[in-house]
This record gives sequence, structure tokens and C-alpha cells, in this order.
Amino acid sequence: MKSFVLACVAAVAIATVAGFALNSVQKPADQAFSTTGVRL
Amino acid sequence: MAGFLAQARFIIAAFVVALILALAVPAGAQQPSTVNPNAAAVKEQQLLNALQGGTIGGRVSIPDQKSGTLIQPGGRDWRQFHEVTLRWIGAIAILGMLVLLVVFYLVRGQVKLESGYSGRRIVRFNGFERFVHWMTATCFIILAVSGLNITFGKPLLMPLIGEPAFAGWSQWAKYAHNYLSFPFAIGVFIIFLVWIGGNIPNKVDVEWTKRGGGIVGHDHPPAYRFNAGQKMIYWIVVIGGTAVAITGYLLMFPFYGTGIQGMQLAQTVHAIIAVLFVAAMLGHIYIGTIGMEGAFEAMGEGTVDVNWAKEHHALWLAQENARTGPNESQRQPMATPAE
Repeated sequence: MKSFVLACVAAVAIATVAGFALNSVQKPADQAFSTTGVRL
Repeated sequence: MAGFLAQARFIIAAFVVALILALAVPAGAQQPSTVNPNAAAVKEQQLLNALQGGTIGGRVSIPDQKSGTLIQPGGRDWRQFHEVTLRWIGAIAILGMLVLLVVFYLVRGQVKLESGYSGRRIVRFNGFERFVHWMTATCFIILAVSGLNITFGKPLLMPLIGEPAFAGWSQWAKYAHNYLSFPFAIGVFIIFLVWIGGNIPNKVDVEWTKRGGGIVGHDHPPAYRFNAGQKMIYWIVVIGGTAVAITGYLLMFPFYGTGIQGMQLAQTVHAIIAVLFVAAMLGHIYIGTIGMEGAFEAMGEGTVDVNWAKEHHALWLAQENARTGPNESQRQPMATPAE
């Protein structure tokens, strides 16, 4: 049971770190694909 | 007279065939070799076929030049795949496996521990192995449910819970699918490293397979730490897991690794492997839980009864006894509490 709980905690921890990492790398479409002359 | 009638019928039939051919050949010859897009009766499908995999695009002023693509005929094939073909493949694979398991359970029943519990336990998987297994397994289940939602959610779930609820659930399922792919991929890689030593096929696997793994009847073909069935699951996880990870990351980072056609191919491969993966894991979950008495303890608490090891992994037990001595096995009460 301890291994299972630790596994779930580790999965959530890694996923959270991955989520923050992805959000810092990728930008929303309105920022990534627009110029000052485009309104979205 | 009868001969004359037969001859007349033959002549008339030959004439009709000749007439049909005479009418058909010029009609076929009239088909243009190229499509005139300005023709009044031109069909959309003819135009798409004439593109021969190419695209129709224009010029755009925003930085993303890909947005200039107006028509990409390959997208229609891809849509047909994920809206129709994939659903059939997934339904046949997953429901087929479920039906197979139910029928097998009803016919064969649980594989019992025939010699009964000895009360002596032997360590089957250490804490780290169980940790990696459960991390990968829990992620896999969430990835499977959230992935199947993409394929089957719209026709099956949305009519039941309504569009707003389905939209909210699907959004969170997609987040979970993206983010939990990382611990899953790490888990698959560690599983590859930790268990590769015991999963190289050998002669014992041939004999084990010839005897059907003892799953039918009361045979107990010997096996080392992993039998041929477990090795098959191992390689499905390693190869299948790697394939879905690579194709998944191609989709998670659009246009970094490949173009639109490459991503359509990646999604096709990702989806087909994923549904087959789910079907295979259903078999794995079955045999590891209700399918075989004493099997879940191996990954649940890390130890198995010595009699279980003797029946299902006799060669491994002999190796362990030679390494540590048979007296190393711990005598424990029958009802061992979960860790």
C-alpha cells in the first residue's frame, strides 16, 4: 500500500512540475500567432 | 427448329454484349485526364483528387504562415480515421478483450493455488519495483480513460451528461492526459531498465508457450522470474509505451518535430497503439487480480507464497533458494495485512 501511495504522490508531483514547465514554454495562441496589427 | 432458336439466342446475346461495349468504351474515353476546375459539372471530390496530396493555400500577413492553408485533403482521410475507423478498431479490440475475459472466466474460472498456501513467503518484487509499477499503472489508467474520452466521449458520454459538462470534463481530462504522460514515460523507461534482465526470451519460454502457460487445465510449466506471458506484457509496455510517448509528444509540441501530415500520421499511430495497449492491459489486470489466486499479492505487498512460486515460477524459486537458501523464506500468518 505504501508503494502505491508513494507512486500516486510521485505521479502527481512529476505531472505538476511538467505542467509548470509546459506553461512556461508554450504561449496561448493569441500571443504566439499575432502581431500588433492583428486583433483576436 | 430448336437448334435454330439456340443459334438465334446466341446471336442476339452477342449483339447485346457488343452494343454495351460499344456504348461503354467511348464513355470511358470521354473522361478527362485532368480536371478543369472551371467546368460547370466538376465535383469537389475530383478537385481534391487532382491535388494528389498537395494543398491549396493563400498568403497571410500574420507570422504563422501555416494559417494560409485553405484545403489539405489529407485532413479528410484523417477525420474519417478518427471519426469512424478508429472507433471500430477500438471497440473491437477493447470490447472483444472484455468479452474474451468474461467467457474465459466463466469457462475456466480462477486459476487456483492447487497446493494451497504454505504460510511461507518469498519476496517477489521489492519496494522500488512496486513503486515504479504502480506509478506507471495509475498514470496508464488515467491516460487510457482520458484518451478513450477523445475517441468515444462525443458519441457515448456527451449525450448522457450534456455538452457543458462534457466540455468541462474533457478539458480537465486533456490536462491530465498531457501532464501525466511525463510520469508515465519516466515509469516506462525505468521499467525497461529494471526488468530487462528477466525479460529476454529463452528456450524455457518456448516450452511454456507450447504448454499454453498452464492456463488451460492443471499444468504448471516451469518458468524463471518472468514467464513468456509476462515477457510479452513487458515488451508491449516498453515498445508500446515508447511509441505512444514519442507520437504523443509530437502532438503535444505541434510543428516542432513534424508538419501537419506527420502529425496526422502520429495521431493515427498513437491512437491505434493506445487502444491495443488498453486491450492488452485488460488481460494483464485480469490475470493479476481475479484470474489467478495469489497473483495480486506479488505486486500488492511484494511477497508471494512459496507454493505459488513453486507452481508458477519453479525455476525462479530454485534460483532464489540457491542464492539465499530455502530457510530465508519467512513464515507468516495466512492473513497477511496489506502494507
